[in-house]
Amino acid sequence: MAEISFPLPDLGEGLIEATVLEWLVEPGQQVERNQAIVELETTKSALELPSPQAGKVGRIHGAPGDTINVGEPLIVFEVPDDTAGIVGTVPKDEAPKRRVRLSAVLDED
Amino acid sequence: MSETATQTRSHNNYTEPAAANDIQQLSMQQALNRALDEVLAQNPKTVIFGEDCGRLGGVFRITDGLQAKHGEDRVFDTPLAESGILGMSVGLAMAGFHPIPEVQFDGFAYPAINQIVCQIARMNYRSRGTLPMPITLRVPSFGGIRAPEHHGESLEALFAHVPGLKVVSPSTPHDAYHLLKYAATRQDPVIFMEPKSRYWQKGPVDFTAAAPGAAAHDDEPTNHGSLTGARVAREGRHLTMVAWGAMVARCLQVAELAAEDGIDVEVLDLRWLKPIDAEALARSVGKTRRAVVVHEAPLTSGLGAEVAQLITQSCFATLKAPVERVTGFDVPYPSGDLEDEYIPNIDRILFGIQRVLEYRRG
Amino acid sequence: MTGRHTMEQHGHTVEGTDPGLFVEVHEPATDAGLRPVLLIHGFSSSSKLNWVDSGWITTLQDAGRRVITVDLPGHGRSHSPEDLDSYTPSRIRADLLQIVTDAGARPLRDGDPSTGLDVIGYSLGSRLAWEFGATQPDLVHRIVLGGPSSADPLAAFDLAAAQRHLADGTPVEDPSTAGLLKMAQMLPSNNLFAMLSLIEAIKGEPFDPAEAAPHMPLLLVAGEKDERAASMPDLAAIAGKRGGLVETLVIPGRTHTNVITSRAFKEAAVEFLGV
Repeated sequence: MAEISFPLPDLGEGLIEATVLEWLVEPGQQVERNQAIVELETTKSALELPSPQAGKVGRIHGAPGDTINVGEPLIVFEVPDDTAGIVGTVPKDEAPKRRVRLSAVLDED
Repeated sequence: MSETATQTRSHNNYTEPAAANDIQQLSMQQALNRALDEVLAQNPKTVIFGEDCGRLGGVFRITDGLQAKHGEDRVFDTPLAESGILGMSVGLAMAGFHPIPEVQFDGFAYPAINQIVCQIARMNYRSRGTLPMPITLRVPSFGGIRAPEHHGESLEALFAHVPGLKVVSPSTPHDAYHLLKYAATRQDPVIFMEPKSRYWQKGPVDFTAAAPGAAAHDDEPTNHGSLTGARVAREGRHLTMVAWGAMVARCLQVAELAAEDGIDVEVLDLRWLKPIDAEALARSVGKTRRAVVVHEAPLTSGLGAEVAQLITQSCFATLKAPVERVTGFDVPYPSGDLEDEYIPNIDRILFGIQRVLEYRRG
Repeated sequence: MTGRHTMEQHGHTVEGTDPGLFVEVHEPATDAGLRPVLLIHGFSSSSKLNWVDSGWITTLQDAGRRVITVDLPGHGRSHSPEDLDSYTPSRIRADLLQIVTDAGARPLRDGDPSTGLDVIGYSLGSRLAWEFGATQPDLVHRIVLGGPSSADPLAAFDLAAAQRHLADGTPVEDPSTAGLLKMAQMLPSNNLFAMLSLIEAIKGEPFDPAEAAPHMPLLLVAGEKDERAASMPDLAAIAGKRGGLVETLVIPGRTHTNVITSRAFKEAAVEFLGV
């Protein structure tokens, strides 16, 4: 298994930190991309942070009430070694499909 | 020959401690990882770096575990600045190192074109041979993984057009292992284009194949029959399909389908895109008298045009039809959702074959 | 998967002028066949901040609900009209009625769960939802009010002090005014002129919950530490006197700002409206 750490992203318009309200996932849990993982509060609003990727939650940083700075670790995912990493998906091997048929008189001159 | 170059060259002469018949089933990803591991172990002057190459082991895990094994001085992360990655490679090469930088994705090479074209490709020429650029630039290339813009492009024609660069693209785990090890012992800069959609398929890697050693005295990779030339991936009598990278596997599928219709197709895996193995093209098409070249890159001024000309040059008198090209379209590489429409698919390649089969003179 | 978004500026105008309110209809992947839900955001917020980023849209879509969001005048992607009338609560209610009608809401019919409209309001949006329900008994089916108050803190806003502060930096003495002004200034996307126009218009039509109270079932939700919603029991009492069903929910540990993302709040609202 490989680990991918996800730091607290810039939540917009110059915010430098956020406070953890409640974790919606726990270590060991399988999450999907865009699934809400944590409730955060900033000086402007409260929001749910969507997961940047699919994977198994390895560790989470910050208990409810803790402040995390932008760029500090927020969550660590465990992903299989053979996944495409940050971008893209592993192509599936599929049986070839065809519609075109060949026809030719092969004169061997 | 400079002191630096001599030092680096001495590492070409190692003998591999390989057991007889050491054949393993590996993915291209694993084969490349193993090749890099061995190169690091064998040549203390090699260094590997790029975006996420160190701690993470690369977004495709090609450098996985190498930092832990060989240290942070030899395998490390860089800032997100390709011009810096390649600019640093120039300096390291001047200082006697053999850098193996990674540009994380094909489309990320554009910011480093200045370093690649104006320095890496011509420093040896400019310095009258006193400053060779032994740089192996790994570029995960071509499409097929449903990624966004700049993650699916085919830059072989761009690189091949630059004097001073060599360009190679493996299509199997075996070739990936041996070609990377071979490239990493060259005195010339080699653009190593890895077909990222083929990273995960396993295939046999024969570690006892002695081609790199045999080729060590040959700086011009044009000899047929070794890793330095093209490879006949499938023998056939009626038509030659020429491809490289990820398109080789697709052409092999098409060849099987063509066989159902009684057409016996030869598939030539070009491997080296600069210089191109013109002899292999002449030999194959001289036999089959028909040729289709397949690539993912756009049609216009693509490498297919170069291949078609080389075939025409050697086989004009016996060709039964003009060389066909089945390629991507003359558009920017589309987003992942549309790439199946862009990359030559089985039916488009079969149509290309049919056009050649149907052609009549006059 | 989230549903299809139709980014439409609503077509019909009320009283001939177009306040340029930004409307979105969020379709669920699988429609539960229930009436649409109108979401009304709070002061100095937006549909995006109040409902999208906080996870409400996906929660409601996952429950099979069709959701209508509107940015209030001067907020989010809505226009900032010059005329004060566009900001009055009565005019906003009229615009909302036109918007939900254009979005397909139909008057309640017995036995047809697709008719009518559910409304969720937050803070200032709660006040608007309360009045909207009271004035549209044939349309509104159920209402959820988040962070509600029986008095509108915007009505007590010291407009003159705020304008002085903006002109020459004179400190604002009233802490509530100072807090609201800071909130309005915090988002660069906010049009401060529009914010002050809204406050001025609200001062002209202050909230009087007893004057017109909704009859339909109500769910009132506030954070335990929400000082602005301290008067929530008064509101519950007013609605209760009307004989309608009134439920209240206090979310432990939460404030006026951060109760919005609470799962307990969302789940209670989905359940309350899912009939």
